[in-house]
Amino acid sequence: MNAILEKFKQVATKPYESVRAYKEATGVKVIGSFPMHFPAEIAHAAGALPVILQELEAPITSGGGAMYPFFCGYTRSIVDQTTQNELGFLDAIMFADHCVQLLSAADIMRVVRPETKVHFHQMIASLRQEWSLDNSVKTLRALIEDMEEVLGVSVSEDALQNSIRVFNENRRLIRNLYAMRRTGAINIRASQMQHIIKSSMVMNKEEHNALLRELTESVDRTAVSKFKVPLYVSGHLCQAPRPEILDLIEDCGINIIDDDLYHGYRYVSTDIDEGIGDPVVAIAKAYIRKNEVVPCPTRIDPDVEWNEWLLKAVGDCGAKGLIVLLAKFCEPHYFHYPRIKAIFEAGNVPHLLIETEHEGVPMENVRTKVESFAEMIKSQSLAQKY
Amino acid sequence: MSAVITNEQKIWTNQPVEKKANRLQATKINNKMVNAYWEDLFRAPEEGRLVCWTEGVQLNPILQAADIAWCHGEAAAALLAARKQADEPQKFMEEKGYDRELCSYARTHIGCGVMNQAASPEAQAVMQGTDARSLGSRIPPPDMIISAYPFCSTGQQWDNELYRTFGKKVPIFNMSLNWIWGNKTSAKYMSGPEYRESVAFLKKQLRDCVTFIEGITGKPYDWDRLSDIMGYVKRAAEIRLEAMKLCKAKPSPASFFEWTNSIAPVNFLPGNQEIVDYFIAKKAEIQTRVDAGIGSVPVEKYRLWWDGIMNWNKIGYLSDKFAGYDACMVAGRYTHMAFWQEPQVIDVKDPLDGMAQNYLTCPISISAPQVIEKIIEHCEFYELDGLILHGARTCRAFSYPQYLIADAVGKKLGLPVAMFEGDMVDESYYKDEVVNSRVEAMLEAIEASRARMR
Repeated sequence: MNAILEKFKQVATKPYESVRAYKEATGVKVIGSFPMHFPAEIAHAAGALPVILQELEAPITSGGGAMYPFFCGYTRSIVDQTTQNELGFLDAIMFADHCVQLLSAADIMRVVRPETKVHFHQMIASLRQEWSLDNSVKTLRALIEDMEEVLGVSVSEDALQNSIRVFNENRRLIRNLYAMRRTGAINIRASQMQHIIKSSMVMNKEEHNALLRELTESVDRTAVSKFKVPLYVSGHLCQAPRPEILDLIEDCGINIIDDDLYHGYRYVSTDIDEGIGDPVVAIAKAYIRKNEVVPCPTRIDPDVEWNEWLLKAVGDCGAKGLIVLLAKFCEPHYFHYPRIKAIFEAGNVPHLLIETEHEGVPMENVRTKVESFAEMIKSQSLAQKY
Repeated sequence: MSAVITNEQKIWTNQPVEKKANRLQATKINNKMVNAYWEDLFRAPEEGRLVCWTEGVQLNPILQAADIAWCHGEAAAALLAARKQADEPQKFMEEKGYDRELCSYARTHIGCGVMNQAASPEAQAVMQGTDARSLGSRIPPPDMIISAYPFCSTGQQWDNELYRTFGKKVPIFNMSLNWIWGNKTSAKYMSGPEYRESVAFLKKQLRDCVTFIEGITGKPYDWDRLSDIMGYVKRAAEIRLEAMKLCKAKPSPASFFEWTNSIAPVNFLPGNQEIVDYFIAKKAEIQTRVDAGIGSVPVEKYRLWWDGIMNWNKIGYLSDKFAGYDACMVAGRYTHMAFWQEPQVIDVKDPLDGMAQNYLTCPISISAPQVIEKIIEHCEFYELDGLILHGARTCRAFSYPQYLIADAVGKKLGLPVAMFEGDMVDESYYKDEVVNSRVEAMLEAIEASRARMR
C-alpha cells in the first residue's frame, strides 16, 4: 500500500515529470487541458495522453508580466508555466470550460507561445435550456473532429466506448475508496486522497487503474480514531489545495471524511452511461447530469442549488461541520459563498471559511482557526450529549 | 459679446489657459436623455409596464418593441457610481458576504436587487437607516430577467444570482454567447465558418428569447416595430462612427471621455429619432471644431488611447487630469470597438442576424489576437502617441489582454504605455498618485522618443 501511495505522491508532487517520462517512453502525444469539465475520454480514445494542467507551487515570476495579479492562482500559475516554457511537452492544449479567467489564461498562452496549438470548444454553461443537450453533442462532435485533425488520427466509436469504460473504472475505484473513508473503515489521509486524484489527472488511466486495484486490495483497514471530528471540505474548483493545508486540518483532531473538491470527489463523481449507443450523446448527457451529482457554480442550472446540496451532503456523510476552501479571486465561488454561509448558519451546522492564495496562506493563523473550530464542534457535541 | 473668455479663445490668443477639458455642448442633450430614461423606468410599474433586468449586450431594442421597460445592469451601476451612490448597494453586498474582488457592476446591481426586496425581512434588516428614495432603491424590481453576456462567465453568474436574489420567482431566460476563439486558420474577424455558426446559434436564441417574451406579455411580438427601432439604432450608430472618425483631425475635436459620455444612446436608451438627432448634433459640433481647429483639450501635445472600461466615478476628473497633461485621449477600446460598432451589417428588415453579429464582435466577444489587430488599426488611424491601460480590477474580462496589448503596440508601433489599476464602479481601487507617476513616465518616454527623432 505504502509503495503505491508513494508513487501517487511522487506523480502528484511533480506532475509534469511523469508526463515527460511517459511521453519519452511511449512516444504518445500529450493533450493538455484545464479543469473543470473537459471530456478527457476523447483524447484518450484518440490515442493521446490527456493531462489536466496543474497549478505548480513555484512562485509566479515572469508570468506576472503577462497577467494581472488579480486573477486566480491557477490561471496565474498556468500563465507563468507558459512564459517559463514549462509546457513544451504538450502537443496541443484543448479545453472546453467557460470561465472568464481560464479563457483569459488560454488566450494569453496562445499569444505568448504561438507555436502551441490552443483550441477551445465551448461546452454550454447553461444546462437547462431546450438546446443544452443538442449544443453539447454538437460541440463534442466538433471537438472530436478537431482532435482527429490535430493528432492526425481517427477516433472510432469503439475506441471512445472503451475509453469511457476505462475512465468509469477509474472513477469507480476512487469512489470506492471514498465510500470506505466515509465509514472510517480505511486509513487514508485527505492529502493522500488528493495525491491519488491528482495523479489520475496526469497519468495513463490504465496504469492508474492497475495501481488503484492493487491499492484497494492492500489498503490499511485500521479504523480511524473515533475521537477525531469528522468534517467535510468544500471548494477549490480548479486547483488542488496545498496538501499541507489538508494535513494541517487533519492534524488538528479532524478527519476529513468527504469533500466536493475538484482534486477530490468532484473529479470522480459522475460516470458516463456505457449503455447509451452513441458515446458522444452519453458524454453530453453525463456532462449535464454531473451538475445534479455535484453542483458546479460555474454552471447555470436553476434546478440545482449548491448550498442546499452541500448542507445535505454534509449531513448525509455524518460530518459535524464544513470547512470551505476558497481560492482567492474565484468569482463563481464568491457568488455562492454567502448563500452557503447563510444556509449553514440557518441550519446551525458549524462552518469555517479559509481563503487560499497561490502565494500561500499563513499556516499558523490557519492552525489556530482550525483548532478553535474543532474545539467548538467538540464542545457542541458534548453539550448535546449531556 | 460675452465677457467670459473661453479656453478656445485663450489658445488662439496665446493666453495662459486653465487646463480643463473642452467639453462638447451636445453632451448636455445626452444627459437630459439619460435622466428622462431613468425617470421613465422608475415610473414603469405604476404605468403598468413590465420591467426586464438584463446585462451585457444591448437587448433593449427587443424589449422596446414589446413595450417592456428595461434596466441594464452595468448602466445602473455606472449611473450610481457617477452620482456617487454606488457605495450603498456595494455596502449591502459586503455585509451579506460578497467579496470585494467580485465584479463591482454585479455587486452594485445585485445590491439594488436587495434594496428592491423591501418586503422581505432579510432586506429590511440590511436596509435599516438607508434612504428609501435613493437611486438604487428606485429601480423597479424585475418582472423578468434576460441573460445574454458575451465572453464573461461572471455576467451569466451575475444574472443567475439576481434570479436567486428575487427568490427564483422572476422568470429568467439564459442565452449563451460563443466566444469567438478561432480554432482554424479560416477564422477571421467577422468571417469563417466558426463565426457564422456562432451567429446562427445566437440568432436562434434571440428568436427563442422573443418567444419567451411573448409568453410573458401574452401578446404577439411586433417584428415591424423592432425593424423601425433598429433603423434608428443603425442610423445613430453610423453617425456616431462618422463623428468619431472626424477625431483624426489634429487637434482632436472630441475625446474618449466625450464618447464615454455618449454611450447611453447606443447602449440602453430607446431606439428613436432622439438618439439619431443626438449624434447629428454631436457630429455637427465636432465638425465645427474641426473647421475651426479647436481641440478637446486646451493644448494637444499627446494623443492617447484608453484601454479598459471607464472608471465611472472619475470621468470628469480624469478628463481634466489628462487635459492638464496636454494629452487628449482620442479613442479607446470601450468606446470605439463596442456599442453597435458594426452597424453596416444590420439589415433592418431582418435585424436579428446583424444584432447577433454586433454582439459577437464587441471587444470582449473577440479574443486577444483580433482585439490587438483592431487596436493597432485604431492607433494608426488616429496617429496616437501612447496608450493608457486601465486595468479594471474587478472586470477581468476587459483587463486580461492588456499585457499582450502593451507588448504588441510596443513591438509593432513603438508606442509606450502606462498601466494602472482602477475599477468601473468601486472607487476604492483607484490610486491617484500611482496614476500620476505612471502617466508622467509615459509622457516622458514620448518626449524622449520625439527628441531622438529630431
